[in-house]
Order: sequence, then C-alpha cells, then structure tokens
Amino acid sequence: MINSWVYIESEGSSIEDVSLEIIGRLNELKNDIDLKITGFYLGTKPGDLPRIAISYGVDHFIFLKSDLFSFYDSQTFVNGISDLVRERNPDIMLFGATYQGRDFAGRLAARLKTGLAANAISLNIDKKGLLYTGVPGYGGRFIAEIVNMKARPQISTVRQGIFKKMERDESRSGEIEIVDVELKGFNQKLKLLERKKLDIKDITKSERVVIIGNGAGNNLKPIEEFAKLIGADIGVTRPVADRGLAPRDIQVGSTGVSLNSKIAIIFGSSGSNHFVSGIERCKFVISVDIDKNSNIFNYSDYCVVADMFKLLPFLIKRMGGDL
Amino acid sequence: MRNIIVCVKVVPKTEDVTFDPVTKTLDRSKAENQINEADKNAIEAAIVLKEKYGGKVILLSMGPMFFEQFLKIGIAMGADDAILLSDRAFAGADSYPTALTLATAIKKIGDYDLIICGEESSDAGLGQVPSQIAEFLDLPQALFVSSIEVSDGLIKVKRSIRGGHEIVEMPMPAVISVELGMNQPRFPDFKRKRWADKEFKLKIWNMKDLNLEEGMVGLKGSYTFVNRFIETIPPQRKREFIEGSLEEQANKLYEIIMKILSS
Ligand SMILES: Cc1cc2nc3c(=O)[nH]c(=O)nc-3n(C[C@H](O)[C@H](O)[C@H](O)COP(=O)(O)OP(=O)(O)OC[C@H]3O[C@@H](n4cnc5c(N)ncnc54)[C@H](O)[C@@H]3O)c2cc1C
Ligand SMILES: Nc1ncnc2c1ncn2[C@@H]1O[C@H](COP(=O)(O)O)[C@@H](O)[C@H]1O
Repeated sequence: MINSWVYIESEGSSIEDVSLEIIGRLNELKNDIDLKITGFYLGTKPGDLPRIAISYGVDHFIFLKSDLFSFYDSQTFVNGISDLVRERNPDIMLFGATYQGRDFAGRLAARLKTGLAANAISLNIDKKGLLYTGVPGYGGRFIAEIVNMKARPQISTVRQGIFKKMERDESRSGEIEIVDVELKGFNQKLKLLERKKLDIKDITKSERVVIIGNGAGNNLKPIEEFAKLIGADIGVTRPVADRGLAPRDIQVGSTGVSLNSKIAIIFGSSGSNHFVSGIERCKFVISVDIDKNSNIFNYSDYCVVADMFKLLPFLIKRMGGDL
Repeated sequence: MRNIIVCVKVVPKTEDVTFDPVTKTLDRSKAENQINEADKNAIEAAIVLKEKYGGKVILLSMGPMFFEQFLKIGIAMGADDAILLSDRAFAGADSYPTALTLATAIKKIGDYDLIICGEESSDAGLGQVPSQIAEFLDLPQALFVSSIEVSDGLIKVKRSIRGGHEIVEMPMPAVISVELGMNQPRFPDFKRKRWADKEFKLKIWNMKDLNLEEGMVGLKGSYTFVNRFIETIPPQRKREFIEGSLEEQANKLYEIIMKILSS
C-alpha cells in the first residue's frame, strides 16, 4: 500500500479548496493503485474538521494537537510534525501551493532531507509509489515532469483550481487519530500580532471573469461597472495587485490563480507568459487593448483594438437595462 | 544593525527562453539575463534598512562567473559587498543543495541580523530556497513580506496570507522573503557603477572554501530530477478582430458576449 498524506489547510471548520482538490485527485488515482489517503492538521482542538475531511474522501485523519498550534509558524509546525513523519514514513506528502503550504512544505523538506516539487499542475503515482509532478517553469510555458527517486517522503505543493474536489458525502467513513504533540525544549520565536482576512471570492470557480490589466491605470471604475452588468467577478494582472489596487487572491497568472471560466474579458494587458498561463483553460477569451500588436491578442478568441476608456461607455450603454 | 545578507539570483528573461522540440530541452543560450525581479526588491529593502539602522548589505549568490557583472549592479545600487559562490560542482542544484550552499556561506560570513530573499525566482519559480535557508540556519522565518520594521533586535513584518495579511514579530537573526513589487528598486548610481566595474572586487568562494563535499552540492546533492520537459501548447484561439467605429465595436462585442453567455 502506498501512503499519501495531505496537509489539511483550514480555518475554523472550513477547509481550503485546494486541500480538497488534492484529495479529489488522489481518489481518482485510487482506481489504479493501492493508495491510502491520510489528512493531517496541526491545531488546538479538532472540532468537526476530521469528519469534514473524511466526508470529502480521506481514509484517515491525524490531528496533531498542541497549544502552540494556535497560529501558523513554520518553525513550530515543522518541529511539531517531523518526528511523526519520520516514524510513519509516508511515501508522499502533498500541500496546497498557498502562502502557508509553500512556507511549510519547503522547510519540512529541508528538515527531512528530501526533495520538493513546487506548484504542481499534474499529479501521477505509479504502482511502486513514485510520484510524478508537472511543475510549470518560465511563467508556465514549459512543464518539467519532476521525480524524486532518492528519498522519502516525496513532497509536493499543488496549485489550486487544477483538480476537482469530490462531492461531500457524510456516509464516508474513516479513522480519526489524535496525537498530542509535546514540543519539549522548543522555544517559539515568532509572535502573531495582527491578522486581517477579507472574505474574498475564489475566482478559480467563477464562470465569468473580467480582468483588469495595467493599461487601466488607477481608473478601475468603468471596468468594474461593466463587470457588474454582465454578472462577472473581477480578476487583475500582477501590476494592478502590486499597486495595492486589488488583493493578490484575485491576481491571475503563474504567481496568482488559474481561471476555469466560460468567458474571460481582459482590458489592457500585454499578454506576458506569466499572465497568460492563468487563462489557458478559459473557454472564450476576449481582449481589449489599445495596441494592435499586444501579445494578448495571440491568446484571444475575439480581439478589440481600442482605448478601453472610450469603448467602455458605449459598451455599458449598450448593456444598460438589458441584463 | 549587523550584516544584512541578500540572496540574489540571476535569471534568463522568461520571454527569451526557447524550447527545442527535438532534444526536448530548454535553450537558455540566447536569453538575456537579469537580476531576478523579486531579488531587486530584496536589495532595495536591505538598502532602506541600512539607511535607517546602519549595518552592511552583503549580496550573496550561487551561480556561474558571469553573475559577477549583475552583482556589481547591486553594488551600484548601494550594497556594500558581494560574494559569489561559484564552483563547477554547484551546477544542476535543485533547491535543497542551493539552500544548503547559501546557508553554509551565510554561516561563514557570520555576524548577521537578517537574511532577505526574493519571494521566488522567475525561472523555476519555486520559492523554496528562503524557507530552506531558514531551516538550515535554525532561524525563524516569515515569507511573502510586503513591509518591514526593525527595533530592539526584533523584526516586525507584514506577510501575505490567503485573503489578507498578518503582522508577525521575530527576534533577529531571521530570514524573510519579500514580495515581488513590494517597493520600487532604485536605479544603480552611475558613479558607483563605474567604481564597481573598475575597482570593486567581489569575493568568490568555491566548494572548498565552504568545506562542502561533492555529494552535498549541485546535481549530486539534489533530490528532484526532471524526468522530461513538456512544452505547453496554448489553446488555439480564433483571434478574430472586431473592426469598426467604437460604437460598432461595442455593439458587436455585446452580441458576442451575449451569445457566449447564453450558450
Ligand atoms: C516571477 C514572476 C511572476 C509573475 N507572475 C505574474 C502573474 O501571476 N500574473 C501576472 O499578471 N503577471 C505576472 N508577472 C508579471 C508579468 O511578467 C507582466 O509584467 C504583467 O503580467 C504585465 O501586466 P499587464 O499585461 O497588465 O501590464 P502591461 O504589460 O503594462 O500591459 C498593459 C497593456 O495595456 C494596454 N493599454 C494601455 N492603455 C490602454 C487603454 N487606455 N486602453 C486599452 N489598452 C491600454 C497597453 O497597450 C498594454 O498592452 C510575473 C513576473 C515575474 C517576474
Ligand atoms: N542560486 C541562488 N543564489 C542566490 N540566491 C538564490 C539562489 N536561488 C534562489 N535564491 C534566493 O531564493 C529566492 C527564491 O528562489 P526559488 O526558491 O528558487 O524560487 C530567490 O528570490 C533568491 O533570493
């Protein structure tokens, strides 16, 4: 049997989609290989979390418990889990490629003297338990298929929005294990002073997305108004997020999210590699750019050469009341 | 403040790298190189700290000899010193031996308060090296940082989390990675650049200088291997241009959008 562990990233009783997506993918792989899926979490009290994870398809849940796990700190978490990993020696450990997942997995791989494949967009496991991950490089133009034949566990972080989570099913059953972790002699150095979380929509699931590119400057209003009229969620390119005009969570591209929408309408982007890898899976792409040579048109179904600020009033007028 | 060490990587420009479909390898030979963008933000952040709290900014890089000219750009921006870790045996390293080699050099430099990395490199783009350096040095870490404050041996930073941010505080020495675009890197000073090109000598350390062994560095010290490269073929798009006056374009666009939405 091949043992795979999935980091359950969670706050309260809601689990990050990416963790559930990884579990979904591993369940698909179960059709061909003998695979056990263990979810693990580090926290202060288990609550409903183990049951929820099981209802989404883990066979086994390990809750590592310590008062020091009340907020995320990589040093604390790595110290908290490394003994258990050494003892159980799973073949594979997977983390969402979120801020936290990447931070945690990188340090853990160094501790365990093993390799890590980051940001995987494909996951395959052969019968011997060798993990093949597809890791995008150069902004997503190439994918390197990575293997680690040298050490265990094989660790990888997985990009969100690539795999499908399973439907929640309360009748699924699984084993729940609670492990009290004693961090003897460990002196926690990092202190959490403040935490701000906004409720931001996960646009990897949106059907309609309007993307604001750098060409919009600081004037996002007309695009936002247009998006509202067609019932679309907003995404942005990196420079727009860099300028603090939008949260990183809705940045599209290699260091942001990948869309899966039916329609993506892009205003004022030059179509760099790092960006277009995020719109590959959209069914229809429409772009508006003032420069007829903008590279974004090479990645678009419908191309409009126009100044967005002149075009948008007509578009908004045409839509007025119709939707 | 004591030494501020900035880890700097030189990377090929993404757009210049090509794929050879026959050999199934990447061709970087024609690519123009540059300092990894986020590392420029790291250098800027270090210089700003130095200006406020004193200390020395030391650039540290592992790579081939041609990196030298790029480290001199960092010197011209205002860094005080630069060390290039260069040895044939370092080639082909994945993040584990990269971080190990850098961490070993950091110990050798000594007397440091802060290690600043970029959030990730634009070529492989793994963002693992900072976390692994912190582990090898047994230091606290905060990644994806967008602002920094220092006082009384403590560093307070704002780090990104999903959907927001946290403010965390750690005693120094500590390791941080800064977000791409967290500041506006200054231009190299022209006079300083001339001085750097003519007179500044950077230190070059090899495997022996670091007391490392063959099996620990480079390809041999790596755990992950590229089984094969796959070029991603972007989906074929229609690329239909919508012509006419602005009003006509808007009307046609409207029809197209409505058709897609109702399909
Ligand atoms: C490691 C790394 C990771 C990165 N990750 C990402 C990522 O995840 N996502 C991302 O987006 N970028 C990413 N980038 C940045 C990326 O390389 C580009 O710099 C960025 O995508 C450019 O954004 P843009 O196309 O909106 O802006 P620009 O390149 O500035 O293009 C603006 C466009 O707007 C047009 N324009 C200007 N005015 C108007 C007008 N009035 N009307 C219509 N059009 C107008 C211009 O003709 C131009 O084509 C990354 C870079 C690096 C190095
Ligand atoms: N060869 C290297 N030399 C110096 N610093 C590096 C090197 N590789 C990575 N780094 C640092 O680690 C950061 C993250 O890199 P990576 O983990 O490769 O995405 C970079 O932004 C650099 O600050």
